[in-house]
Amino acid sequence: MQLIPEYKADVPRVERFNFLARFSHWGHTVTFLLCLFTGLVLFLNGVDWLAAIFGGYAGAGLVHRIAAVGMTIVLVIGAVFGYKGVIAWLKDLLRFGMNDIVFLMKFPLEFMGFKVKIPPQTRFNGGEKGNSIVTPTCVIFLVLSGYIMWFPAVFPAGLVRIAYPIHDICMVLATCMVCMHAYLGSFHPGSGESFWGMWKGTVREDWAKHHHAIWYKETYGDKKEGE
Amino acid sequence: MTKMTNLYDVSKCTACRGCQVACKDWNQLPAVIEPFTGNYQTHESTNGDTYTIVKFIEHEDPVDGLHWNFLKFQCMHCFEPACMDVCPRNCISQTEWGAVIKDYDKCIGCQYCTYACPFEIPKYRKRDDTVTKCTLCYERVEEGLTPACARTCPTGALQFGERDKLLEYAEERVKFLRANGFPRATIYGRVELGGLNKLYILTDTPDKFDLPVDPKVPGQISFWQNWIQPYVGWLIPLALAGSAASFVSTRILANKNSTPGEGGHE
Repeated sequence: MQLIPEYKADVPRVERFNFLARFSHWGHTVTFLLCLFTGLVLFLNGVDWLAAIFGGYAGAGLVHRIAAVGMTIVLVIGAVFGYKGVIAWLKDLLRFGMNDIVFLMKFPLEFMGFKVKIPPQTRFNGGEKGNSIVTPTCVIFLVLSGYIMWFPAVFPAGLVRIAYPIHDICMVLATCMVCMHAYLGSFHPGSGESFWGMWKGTVREDWAKHHHAIWYKETYGDKKEGE
Repeated sequence: MTKMTNLYDVSKCTACRGCQVACKDWNQLPAVIEPFTGNYQTHESTNGDTYTIVKFIEHEDPVDGLHWNFLKFQCMHCFEPACMDVCPRNCISQTEWGAVIKDYDKCIGCQYCTYACPFEIPKYRKRDDTVTKCTLCYERVEEGLTPACARTCPTGALQFGERDKLLEYAEERVKFLRANGFPRATIYGRVELGGLNKLYILTDTPDKFDLPVDPKVPGQISFWQNWIQPYVGWLIPLALAGSAASFVSTRILANKNSTPGEGGHE
């Protein structure tokens, strides 16, 4: 059983994510998962075995803080050096149109494996737009509320009080999205090349034409015609 | 079981701070020296190595003139402790007779209890990364002794005993105080927060003693702890289950149709 489509280097490929985008993505993957599992030690009750992996509750707390600082660094590097990419990303998110709504309505069927016709998509389809809005928003709130809880003496007590529930809610929402995102970005048959887009940076040209028709036409189609 | 509690009578307290010293002595806590702030009060509030303090409150009344109010301040041992609700390690528990105690082996020093507490009494102690507070000397009480502070009090301002009996005494005492120059004398801790396992006889309204008149557990904390937190976490297994279901069903359907799906585009 094939889990991820084979990477084909001998077919025309187009760049989907540059190095900085991939660095941010995988940097967040590692730090988020570390923070998640060390954080679940407290969120779930009676998971001493999970704490033991990190050397007990104090060890889990230390790993959580180190990973959190790592996450902040990745976040800042991504935002500072890749601000152009971030702006392009936000612009694409704002192009939420009818094609995205149709996508979101039909996607549950494709998700379960039925064949559906989906209208042409921009760089990010309706579902990816949703993920791109919810997860980073949650991560920003997680980072902010995390530092408030880490240094409570510096902040007003009211802010510290709401930081705890915010940290929890954002953790749950982000983890939900990450679960779905990890699956859809890899093992879901409908996603095809998207894993290689984030791992190697390029996707097959025909896949790009088919999956993100508007993006392909705007980024690579017009240029070719113009040249 | 009957609740055992401390009754603190402000009108008898001379602010000798014997209770503070006895507390340090019994709990083997080192001295914490804080800078002088123009007041006889030794510490700004309770801290990691100081479970109880005597507050010196200077209160100027336009009619009665200057009042110097003393207040022994420590954990109130609420009947419904917010700290116990929020602790992620479940290290706070309540004894049958009403003491709210902590298991310091479990505490990880996250300080959630500090900010959930309506009085902000539990305090972080850096040297062993825990949050500490008064224990109502439960280890002494369970051996038939009285708490160190109550035992040492020279004026009888602190009494230890059954809560019901102490309340009866407090009512008598408040009646006496009201008739003898303290018309606003009151009992604190009988109904506040659903009852505190610490009783106060105050010679004036609670706000003159730096106590919240109507203490409340911060709303967002009780709402979150009791209603959202127990259920919202189930979204994560739901997302995992959805992915697993899709993993299976996409492959079953792909085998059935034997033609590659639109999405795969192979």
